[in-house]
Amino acid sequence: MSEALVASQAPGTDTPVPGASGARQFWRRLRVQRAALVAAVVVALLVLVALAAPLLTALEGQDPTTYHPSLIDSARGGVPIGSFGGIGADHWLGVEPQTGRDLFARLVYGARVSLGVALAATVVQVAIGVAVGVASALGSRWVDQLLSRTTDIIVAMPLMIMSLALLAIVPSSFPRPVLVTLVIGLIAWGNIAKIVRAQTLTLKGLDYVSAARLSGWNTWRIARRELLPGLAAPVITYAALLVPMNISVEAALSFLGVGVKPPTPSWGQMLTSADVWYQAAPQYLLLPAGALFVTVLALTVLGDGVRTALDPRAASRLRVGTGRKSESESENGTGTGKEETA
Amino acid sequence: MRQPSVVARRVAAASVSLVVAAGAAACGPKDNDAKGSGGDSAPHKGGTLSVLNSEPQQDFDPARLYTSGGGNVPSLVFRTLTTRNRENGAAGAKVVPDLATDTGRPSKDATVWTYTLKKGLKYEDGTPITSADIKYGIERSFAPELSGGAPYLRDWLVGAADYQGPYKDKTGLSAIETPDARTIVFHLNKPEGEFPYLATQTQFTPVPKSKDTGTKYEEHPISSGPYKVVKNENDGEHLVLERNTYWSTAVDAERKAYPDTIDVRSGLDSSVINQRLSASQGADAAAVTTDTNLGPAELAKVTGDKELAARVGTGHFGYTNYIAFNPTVKPFDNVKVRQAISYAIDRSSVINAAGGSALAEPATTYLPNQKSFGYEPYDLFPAGRTGNPEKAKELLKEAGYKSGLTLTLTHSNDKNFETSPEIATAIQDALKKAGITVKLQGLEDNDYRDKIHSVKTEPGFFLAHWGADWPSGGPFLAPIFDGRQIVKDGANFNTGLLNDKSVNDEIDAINKLTDLDAAAKRWGALDKKIGEQALTVPLFHPVYKRLYGKDVKNIVISDWTGVLDISQVAVK
Repeated sequence: MSEALVASQAPGTDTPVPGASGARQFWRRLRVQRAALVAAVVVALLVLVALAAPLLTALEGQDPTTYHPSLIDSARGGVPIGSFGGIGADHWLGVEPQTGRDLFARLVYGARVSLGVALAATVVQVAIGVAVGVASALGSRWVDQLLSRTTDIIVAMPLMIMSLALLAIVPSSFPRPVLVTLVIGLIAWGNIAKIVRAQTLTLKGLDYVSAARLSGWNTWRIARRELLPGLAAPVITYAALLVPMNISVEAALSFLGVGVKPPTPSWGQMLTSADVWYQAAPQYLLLPAGALFVTVLALTVLGDGVRTALDPRAASRLRVGTGRKSESESENGTGTGKEETA
Repeated sequence: MRQPSVVARRVAAASVSLVVAAGAAACGPKDNDAKGSGGDSAPHKGGTLSVLNSEPQQDFDPARLYTSGGGNVPSLVFRTLTTRNRENGAAGAKVVPDLATDTGRPSKDATVWTYTLKKGLKYEDGTPITSADIKYGIERSFAPELSGGAPYLRDWLVGAADYQGPYKDKTGLSAIETPDARTIVFHLNKPEGEFPYLATQTQFTPVPKSKDTGTKYEEHPISSGPYKVVKNENDGEHLVLERNTYWSTAVDAERKAYPDTIDVRSGLDSSVINQRLSASQGADAAAVTTDTNLGPAELAKVTGDKELAARVGTGHFGYTNYIAFNPTVKPFDNVKVRQAISYAIDRSSVINAAGGSALAEPATTYLPNQKSFGYEPYDLFPAGRTGNPEKAKELLKEAGYKSGLTLTLTHSNDKNFETSPEIATAIQDALKKAGITVKLQGLEDNDYRDKIHSVKTEPGFFLAHWGADWPSGGPFLAPIFDGRQIVKDGANFNTGLLNDKSVNDEIDAINKLTDLDAAAKRWGALDKKIGEQALTVPLFHPVYKRLYGKDVKNIVISDWTGVLDISQVAVK
């Protein structure tokens, strides 16, 4: 019952306050969205695959870096011998042209890079974005001006070009995955800072925050205890959508040759080597492309589901977690909109 | 499979050119109505040949072009004192007379070279070609605004070091004499037995002083060859050449010039060029490319298709891809470490990374595997096909690296199958077996080139390649191993920083030889001697494979250029 109360307490502010029970409510709302559920399962599987990469490749009996010159036809440009790129019991997804490296192993190890870098970069983006957004909303006029204009500059900067420039100037002895993470994280935090600032400004005017201030709490305590919980929903929503974007950016940087260094496999790097092989060895291109497609799609759908589950207006359309309808009824649809709470 | 077909085509092409010569003698040289008499075996005269290229024919001025043997398209318009022999294979690596009656008459110490022009040579406007025009053409190439050519003339001609060209200095170069309209004499400041090779470059093209328009000359250079420029759009992006009626095979033994028109288009993506040539539709049936090779993936497709495979020209250009060491960087100062890497290298995986056995041949010598370079086969640190990690480990132990070694290999990030990450990764994998951990340092291509060619920033262990300006040991070994050519500030190519008196002296001695075959043998022996120092690990010599259209006939591919000679091609 309490969730419903919370949700209806602040209609129109998009701010359910998640706590222990908030998480339960969130889960109930997410669960009824089938697409999001499927996407969540896919994402969970991908994460599992990435974590278990050494185990999976050991099971296959391969590793991502060993060359197998006997499996490719050197006289024909190094095209894999055998049908479908040399797919077989030893090499589940065939081998790479020109090297004979195992594609399954490279694909699952590539998932580590893609997901690892994307998730870590998201953490960096969220941390910076929230800090700047909150400081900007709560600070003096000058602080706000300074931080907001900085944010504007960051938002206006072309992400790919800045990343390319930064990756080119840092000495190559710096660990590459960490560098790629930092570059993506440090360049693409602008939007999240703007959202957090706007949200904080809204929250700042609400009664319970005013009450806290009147009772003598300092700004830091208000931010931590009263504002941050209110920011969780938009931040989580935006972060969920940032992850697939970061995966695309990492892949694009690797594609352009400034991502992780060989022989560490990454999907973007596989794509760049594979693009000329689309006719002679199509699976070589299709595997990393498919992996990227599925991952980005699943994360985007999941992100969308998260947004829906955290948005009380959208959630009410789901008729779940508002306390009005039972879950079983709402399984059948996303509502008509007529019964929306005003 | 591939070798016999090349041989077969060479024989076929040779017999075809014999038939042509006979036919030409019978019915007279000129005239484009010779198709009836020739029958099926004689190449068809007339038609339009399309050239599909990625790079434009930029700065189409004989003073500014940097070519080997006069270039492919430029050689259609610019004749030179000597030129490359237009024949298949090794015979095509010979230098032969072009405007001159012979390849040059040297003085006893090869410091003075005399040439006599053929009779009846004319420009596209019918005016005669004189030796003074050749002198003027060379003088122009010294003008700062017409830079771009090779540096040899400035280095070799007496008193040319500070010459600024005929626009500023009206007196001209005293090192070149023209006692009469058909004679030209060159005075060199040191013996250069290979001067005839240099005289193939476009700087030796006659330029009539009265027609010289300075930097605008490239828009309409006055032709001495079989074709004249009728259109030059966007600085060589689209070039249209038509027959020069004052040229004939009677005064040119090398060029055949069968088509009436040559249409050169550039700015095309390499995959587009290969796609269009393989489809060979419409005008593309009479198309060739002078700058785009088949890549490994394209080769995989082409070799699976008999019709396409029959339309691939295979050639060898003198070129070596290798690992370079800088012996001033530890641990590469230790010859045992360099030897260990030589033993550990797996050439089969490197070759696969470079495009496979059809696009690269294993190299154990620094000189290219061709006779004209003086190639003498040697394998001083035999690694076999896939490397000898045991021997490498042994040497490392002797060098004091019992528990292995960690090195950084510098390469370019460009996807060029030469110095690319793919090659570097293959080396990394091979050296792992010998207990050497290789870290890769991939640099942006320009940055990479700057770094490896500067004494101050040169890394210890990197990928490199070298191709010569003409097919001889001289321009292959001297810039890389002559200690006097180490450039302290500026572009340095002696990356091994070798300054060995015996090597320098031998280079001087060979340069005195005017018997090029004898010189070739000495270059081969010198290469082996330098090889003992393990300053490089030769990896592979590339093989060029290029598609041409269905209607393209009379393919001639010399070892000088490794690519189809456009002056020999006929279209149906």
